[in-house]
Amino acid sequence: MNGFAKRKAIPPALPVVAWRWWLMMLLTCAGIGVAGYLSYTHLFELPVICGNSQGCDLVAQSIYAKMFGVPVAVFGLLAYIALLVLLIARRRIGENLEAYVTLTVFGISLLGMLFSAYLTYLELFVILAVCTWCVASALIMVALFVLSVWEISLVNP
Amino acid sequence: MRRMPAARKQGITTAQIILVIGAMVIAVALLIMLNSSRLRRATGGTLSYPTGVTQEGAPYKGSPDAPLKMELYSDFLCGHCADFANVLEAISADYIGKGKLQVIFHNFAFLAPESVQAAQASLCALEQGPAYFWQYHDLLYASRGGGMAAYSTVRLKAYAQELGLDTDAFNRCLDSRAKAAQVQADLDAGRQAGVDGTPTWFLNGQKHVGAMSEGALRNLLDSLLPR
Repeated sequence: MNGFAKRKAIPPALPVVAWRWWLMMLLTCAGIGVAGYLSYTHLFELPVICGNSQGCDLVAQSIYAKMFGVPVAVFGLLAYIALLVLLIARRRIGENLEAYVTLTVFGISLLGMLFSAYLTYLELFVILAVCTWCVASALIMVALFVLSVWEISLVNP
Repeated sequence: MRRMPAARKQGITTAQIILVIGAMVIAVALLIMLNSSRLRRATGGTLSYPTGVTQEGAPYKGSPDAPLKMELYSDFLCGHCADFANVLEAISADYIGKGKLQVIFHNFAFLAPESVQAAQASLCALEQGPAYFWQYHDLLYASRGGGMAAYSTVRLKAYAQELGLDTDAFNRCLDSRAKAAQVQADLDAGRQAGVDGTPTWFLNGQKHVGAMSEGALRNLLDSLLPR
């Protein structure tokens, strides 16, 4: 490994990158904000600001808020961070890899959406309390998934 | 990443898309399955110690023949009671499961109307069996962090459903306030016994007020156990 990394010229943005890319970046950053806030309140055991309802605390304090000892919000945060890294990478990467990045973004957003669906089911039918932040994150994931499907359909005409 | 250079041409095949979809669906299904089996263990499953009801109608866990007897007065809304319930759960394998300690539970519902409501609900669960009482007890304390709303009628009923109780009987019991008199009687009996805060517990007759750390409780129990 050469310790002195050479500064290479960044290849120009690919034509497929368009307003969808910016929208996905925006949604991913919003997702990082939501999941980050929930992770933060969970790790520091703070009450969740939740409008007038007590739903957020009920959900956050329920036994469903953790999986294998890790708050589920942290899983969400990791997924959003992975998406952010991939989205940035997509602008910097050669054409032959771009398809794989698009496919990975599709996979992660699908995973996130399915998992959010399960969590929303738990909120609605098991915990019987809805947390606005969690719903927001679920909607962001659905939007990201829809956009990634769109991208894939463009890469694979 | 190693495989990538092989795919020179840009584009994603349908097979790849199906592969990714399949992998993700399987991943989520696995997660849900693992999680629900974990939750079943947390919210019930089989208890590792005997449970029952005393002649006075109080639920207990641990053998009645155990050398150590703890009479515990607790409020479901009280944080130190929840801490102490966790400590008791942590030592249960070594002491309650091995016939060294019997814990007899008494409701001392004095903090708020929600305490009374939760206490009544716990007795409605007891009606369906002492093991259900303890599972319900654990679930109530696990949900306590949600504040007062954690013990709303809707949610108390949801816990019962979650544990697989007979919901018709449970809801009838809760709605009719069938256990109101008993909860009040338990409170009066507790006051008579000298309880004025929670958790208060009598270990072989010796009064202790407040929660205790797991280590301290283990030491105390060991010092009282016959050699």
